[in-house]
Amino acid sequence: MDKDFIARGMQRCSTGKFLLWLFPWVALLIFGVYSAALCLIKGLNQTNMDNRFAFGAWIFLDLTVIALGAGAFFTGFLLYILKMKELKAVINSAVVIGFVCYSGAVVVLAVDVGQPLRAWFTFWYPNVHSMLTEVTFCISCYLMVLLIEYIPIVLKNRKLREIPSMLVFEHELHKLIYVLAAVGTFLSFFHQGSLGGLYGVLRGRPFAFREHLGIWPSTFFLFILSAAAVGPSFILLTTWLVEKISRKKLVPPEALRLLGRVSGMLLSVYVLLKCVDTLIWMNRTSMVRGFVPAQYYAFEPFGEWVLFAELVLFGIVPAAILLVPKLREKTGWLVSAAAMACCGVALNRFVQTIQTMALPTLSFDKFLMYTPSWQEIGAFLMVVAYGVLVYSFSFRYFELFPQERQLRIESAAAKPQHETAVGGR
Amino acid sequence: MLPWNYGFHFTTGPIIFMGIFYTVLVIVATTVISAVLRSRRAMREHHTEHIRWHSEFDDLTTPARLCRYALTGEMPGRICPNGFDCRHCDVRAHLVAKLPEAQPAEAVVVVAGMAFPTDRLYHRGHTWVKQEADGTVTVGVDEVAKLILGAPDKIDLPHVGRQLRLNGVAWSVSKGRTTARVLAPLDGKVVAHGGPADNWRLRIRPTDADMSHLLTANEIRPWVTREIQRLHVALAAVGVQTEPGQQHRPDIAANHPDADLDAVCAHMFLHR
Amino acid sequence: MISENKGNKKARYGMSIDVDRCTGCGGCMVACASENNVAPANPGANDRKGLTWIRVFKVDNGQEYPNKRSVFVPMMCQQCGEETPCYLACPQQAVDVDPSTGIVGQMPERCLGCRYCMAACPYHARYFNWWDPVWPAGMEKTMNPDVAPRMRGVVEKCNFCHGRWHAARQKAAASGNRVLDPADYVPACVEACPTGAIRFGDLSDASTEVARNSKTPDSFRMLEKLGTEPKIYYMSKRQWVKEIAEAPKLTPQKEPARG
Repeated sequence: MDKDFIARGMQRCSTGKFLLWLFPWVALLIFGVYSAALCLIKGLNQTNMDNRFAFGAWIFLDLTVIALGAGAFFTGFLLYILKMKELKAVINSAVVIGFVCYSGAVVVLAVDVGQPLRAWFTFWYPNVHSMLTEVTFCISCYLMVLLIEYIPIVLKNRKLREIPSMLVFEHELHKLIYVLAAVGTFLSFFHQGSLGGLYGVLRGRPFAFREHLGIWPSTFFLFILSAAAVGPSFILLTTWLVEKISRKKLVPPEALRLLGRVSGMLLSVYVLLKCVDTLIWMNRTSMVRGFVPAQYYAFEPFGEWVLFAELVLFGIVPAAILLVPKLREKTGWLVSAAAMACCGVALNRFVQTIQTMALPTLSFDKFLMYTPSWQEIGAFLMVVAYGVLVYSFSFRYFELFPQERQLRIESAAAKPQHETAVGGR
Repeated sequence: MLPWNYGFHFTTGPIIFMGIFYTVLVIVATTVISAVLRSRRAMREHHTEHIRWHSEFDDLTTPARLCRYALTGEMPGRICPNGFDCRHCDVRAHLVAKLPEAQPAEAVVVVAGMAFPTDRLYHRGHTWVKQEADGTVTVGVDEVAKLILGAPDKIDLPHVGRQLRLNGVAWSVSKGRTTARVLAPLDGKVVAHGGPADNWRLRIRPTDADMSHLLTANEIRPWVTREIQRLHVALAAVGVQTEPGQQHRPDIAANHPDADLDAVCAHMFLHR
Repeated sequence: MISENKGNKKARYGMSIDVDRCTGCGGCMVACASENNVAPANPGANDRKGLTWIRVFKVDNGQEYPNKRSVFVPMMCQQCGEETPCYLACPQQAVDVDPSTGIVGQMPERCLGCRYCMAACPYHARYFNWWDPVWPAGMEKTMNPDVAPRMRGVVEKCNFCHGRWHAARQKAAASGNRVLDPADYVPACVEACPTGAIRFGDLSDASTEVARNSKTPDSFRMLEKLGTEPKIYYMSKRQWVKEIAEAPKLTPQKEPARG
């Protein structure tokens, strides 16, 4: 019986209902695996990418997913290094989300490269000048760290902790978790940054190229900041979503508000620096290379509205909402602002990837667009389905929200006592 | 990756890059290996029960972790930082020195119709400990435990000669679909155990004479009052409720066979 | 492998392309493909997914008849010499810049197919093998034994006919010379060009025609302001042709984006 694996005092739906929930996601996963298999077996001609659009939907979505998954490292950093104890309520969920995001992104990358079996070459013959080398090293190391951070969550399962060695190992590993949190923070800083650096160093693409600070372009620092800003927002958003779907109270509202506040502060710093960076890029970096910035926005559909949406609509506006305590108190505002912040980062990654590829560099070349093929979309949906499934299993069998039990007891204590007695649900 | 691989140059870039990479690998590997070694040592030194208790104690709800002086009102709201082990608690030492213990006024404390004799000491996991003349102690479960489980269907008592560890699992009690683990109130060796006739009591030879972590006569009333509140809330959370002002009838497990009493037992017997 | 031409004067191979002489015949493209074993296009390929190490663009001055003028611009790897974008992008050293020749080499055997180099290249001169290379039955006999065909999922590009460079070096070594004879090393496109528009040689040797061409006021390089120091010099006497080397002009797009 799977009831024996569910922690005592946690309310979870019946096995049948759970299987019903899994069904569409498993179907999606099968479709996605089929799409990815087509790309692996028949080759990347199954995609609509081409020699000009060498990066497409996959890279854009990978970057977005990794930015959103930054909640794992940043929450860990806030909890274990800066000792914000309120965030203990969401840390397990954040680790699982981080793990899902990173492992999913790595799977998509493995489909995206032409010769996945040669991936080890990057480790064996690394070109230390390449941003992609930094990305590859840091993401694989950090995925390993996330996997180790996931172990204690799994071992805390009701059945597994009855095995003494599991219980003791969980305890001993958890005592050292701050080391892993610190290493994870270090690695995350670097790979979020080098993902940004990936574009900032492209001197052949003046739309993406940025001024350098030391050996890194400004996008290196902007990507770190934006990922750190949006990570907590995404944790907030997913927690809220899980609360809605499971119809349970999982975390105290203060934890969500704290996430929102941290997100708002970082987001405002990010938007400020991004504005400065954009001005420098428009007036100097791009001009020096002979490219008039207005020209980047002369091609539909990428008008100036993209810049406006990125900086104002999905930047300043959510940052302002998250910084006003009165608005933060209201769940509707809090969640909408978090969602807008997430959209902003997704839009930034989209612009960096897709607009960079779409814009011509040669005067006699054309502005090109591409629409992803169904195989590309399918392969990405595979990762979404995989993520939902891993999270669903984790939510059912592991304690992703340690305060759930206490909140349930508290709400029972607050309830009027004269409700009719109901047998165990 | 390695100096003899193609394309490796002994220049600043590769040395810093690979240096950081190997440092990260070493730190992560050291962390995992030291966790493995420490757990092996803990297993060898029989710390499992201690670790189980401390890991579970952290996961208990806040009202379940209140300090004994929070119950009696001397330090309102204080959460116990020591996992209910008052033997080395500075706060307790300080308070004991300041307020000498009053003599128990009554031989039996009655709370909500339940009798708690004051000739014995009580453990927060609803067991009691009674000193015997031969230096051993008798251990049994209190009235709150009986209120919940009534006459159990099955009891797994520790075999004679087993070393019990304070707050480790001493025995488990099953009733219907529910299993509750009862925590050991002290360190000691099992010397004998009874059967159904004497309520399954254990005889234990303590290995540590210090029993200052157990509750004494004057603490019974505030503690049990709190426990009954906690029980009501825990039962309400699984949908078992009483009319206002009414008490639950004894043997709740038998009265509500459909309720998820596992959660209630975990809540009241301080485990997960 | 990087050749260690120790004790030799370092060469800096480059090209000059006189676009005023280019007729757009496409002979260079054909010669290149057969020299370098570029397989015939897959039926699913289009102009964006095909493989051609050298591509002849038709560029006009943007005016209507009777003022309309056109030129043909052969574009291949521009062999960037400074901050070579693809070399800095490749995560696993599948791209190298040979210090003895200045040629930007691509090692498809080590390529992962991540296509970051393609994103980095401002000249769109890099091509990805979207399909397995297939030669029609019998045509494999025409393949060049000096050049290894590439597999699906890797990137390739112009390398100034590396196979010919090897052959010329071997010939020089066989006759006891350390320096190869310039007449022995001529890329296929240079050889094939019927109007002699493409010239090839060592830019560091002032006596060569390319070195002289590169210094004429008519010569220009594509997107020179990016600072990548390409080694392909284009030549034209017409001002508007020189201007095509600049960044795209600020003109609203006339035709909708191609999807």
